[in-house]
Amino acid sequence: MQFKDQLDFVSQHIKKNKLRVFMTILAATMGTAFLITLASVGFGIQDTLKSEILDNRLVTQVEVYSADLTKEKADKMKGMDHVKAVVLRQQVSAYQKTTLDKYTSTSELIVSNFGEEQKAGFTLEKGRLPQSEYEVVVGHDFAENLINEEEVEKFEAEQKDKDLSDTELDELELPHYEEELLEKKITYEMGSYETYESYKEPVKLTIVGVAKAPAKDFISDSKIYADASLISELEAIYDRHKPEASDETLFSMNLNIYADELQNVKEITTSLKEDGYSVYSISEELEQIDVFFLALKAGLIFVGTIAILISSIGIFNTMTMAVTERTREIGVMKALGAKPKLIQRLFLLESAWIGIIGTVIAVILSYAISILANYVLPLIVGAALGEEEFGELNVTFSIIPWQLVVIASAISISVAMISGWRPARKATQIDVIDALRQEL
Amino acid sequence: MIHVEHIQHSFKIGKKGKERPVSVLKDLSFKVRKGSIISIVGRSGSGKSTLLHIMAGFLKPESGRITINGTVTSDFTETQSAEFRLDQFGFIFQNFQLMPGLTTFENIELPLKLKGAPKAERTKQVKQLIQHVGLKEVQDHYPNELSGGQQQRVSIARALITNPPIIFADEPTGSLDSETEQEILALILSLNESLGITFVIITHDDEVASIADEIYQMHDGVLKAEGVHHAI
Repeated sequence: MQFKDQLDFVSQHIKKNKLRVFMTILAATMGTAFLITLASVGFGIQDTLKSEILDNRLVTQVEVYSADLTKEKADKMKGMDHVKAVVLRQQVSAYQKTTLDKYTSTSELIVSNFGEEQKAGFTLEKGRLPQSEYEVVVGHDFAENLINEEEVEKFEAEQKDKDLSDTELDELELPHYEEELLEKKITYEMGSYETYESYKEPVKLTIVGVAKAPAKDFISDSKIYADASLISELEAIYDRHKPEASDETLFSMNLNIYADELQNVKEITTSLKEDGYSVYSISEELEQIDVFFLALKAGLIFVGTIAILISSIGIFNTMTMAVTERTREIGVMKALGAKPKLIQRLFLLESAWIGIIGTVIAVILSYAISILANYVLPLIVGAALGEEEFGELNVTFSIIPWQLVVIASAISISVAMISGWRPARKATQIDVIDALRQEL
Repeated sequence: MIHVEHIQHSFKIGKKGKERPVSVLKDLSFKVRKGSIISIVGRSGSGKSTLLHIMAGFLKPESGRITINGTVTSDFTETQSAEFRLDQFGFIFQNFQLMPGLTTFENIELPLKLKGAPKAERTKQVKQLIQHVGLKEVQDHYPNELSGGQQQRVSIARALITNPPIIFADEPTGSLDSETEQEILALILSLNESLGITFVIITHDDEVASIADEIYQMHDGVLKAEGVHHAI
């Protein structure tokens, strides 16, 4: 019998028992949709957590710690396999003061190599990167830290009269520098932490670029980024003023290595650990999260599978009824020359058909539920917690990746076929003589 | 064509654990010539239907051998038996055994579908046969919309569609009135003459049996040749 004829045969029987088949498909749909929706919550929470961790941090970043980091050691690391960039940031560890017109700030100065920074993903919001030692890039929130003491005092005095609560006072934005920063000259001074006094050796720097804002709202970047060529001048100033007995250096080092691809991070961290460095990589944290969620998702799929198993009782029932009802027809077909395998295949096709249709509807339904959940749940949770902004946060409650669709479909269709197997087997064992004796 | 040798068969009856065997076929041997009609006549319970079931491969004999066209069929597995039936046999049943959900056309087409014949070929063959057996008017009717005679014609057409060399007929006129019975018997005779099909007819009706070239009387599992009649 040709496959198309087998399908025709199956669809003819399905049409004859529309209501019963519909109810069975409904049960299969509910079971599968339950599995997909349940597991999608695991995928959703995992995704939310991961993006929370990854926000503002690169997954390929490896932080390197050592008491005796040097520029030479950092340069040597550039030669390692799969290393895309080695960013050695040197931070001034002295009292710092920056002045622009009548505004001052205590922003920190970081010296780095912009070539490596760019490779690692450092991007500007506007302007360009420094091309000489006296050109700098400032952080996105640099202007907010440039304040005028008099203006602030006056502003605070005004607010006191308004009789505001402490919370309201905290939320107030202090007056700060509002004008364009690009091409402005700032005066940078270092001094002693003990006296908070400047060494009175100002360095004039020109702002040529503003860095892109950090990915998270609550992180502020008011740093000044200068090229490594400024180091010698700053060290000279420091050497002239530091206490004679002190052997402290001006700069503290912070070294980050960036791998070319995520899968190579492990190789780099292992190699660095072997060389005696302490390292930290976000990928290690992600690995632990992945293991935890793998177990969670497997658990959720297991619970969902139970629902499918319950729905399979319906399929078993429907198919057993179908075989019983069609005993005489099966007998006639066998008498005419239908092989037992063909009879079995026809019934397995019918149960597979129920499974496939149930699965297709369940997948469509699950996507609809997922989209609705991601839209509605944040609003409900936000309303319940009394936080209107919750709805605007990027929280994903449910994600249905294609792998989940494949797993759920495989489980659902397999369970449908397994539940149809016994009735199909029963059909092949029908005795022709007994079947032909049945009354019409 | 059909060679039945020393066929014996018994059924177990009674409660489980206390069954006792009842012999239904006792050492039967006979031959059926190619292109002939034979009738096996007997009362209910004489074993004639069991003999047909064994010859058709629905049932395996306890002992003995059946050879059809040189092939020993009594040792066949269920699948081999099904394949052989589809290829070599046609069946006419007392209560027609048509598929209630299929039209006249589809019922006749069914054996060709089981054979895996392409649709175009099936349609051509069925149309020709429908014309031949006079069912064109009712080709889209379902079995419950047909008279007994029409249903049996459909059943005969279904048996003929694969051009089998042998047709087994189990009480072919048992559910029909005498006028329709004559029509069906005439059709069987004409098919035998025009197409050379061998018919094995099981009946308790002497009139039906009389169209045969050879008549066998079945009595308590024993077969006796009765001779040749031609009533019609």
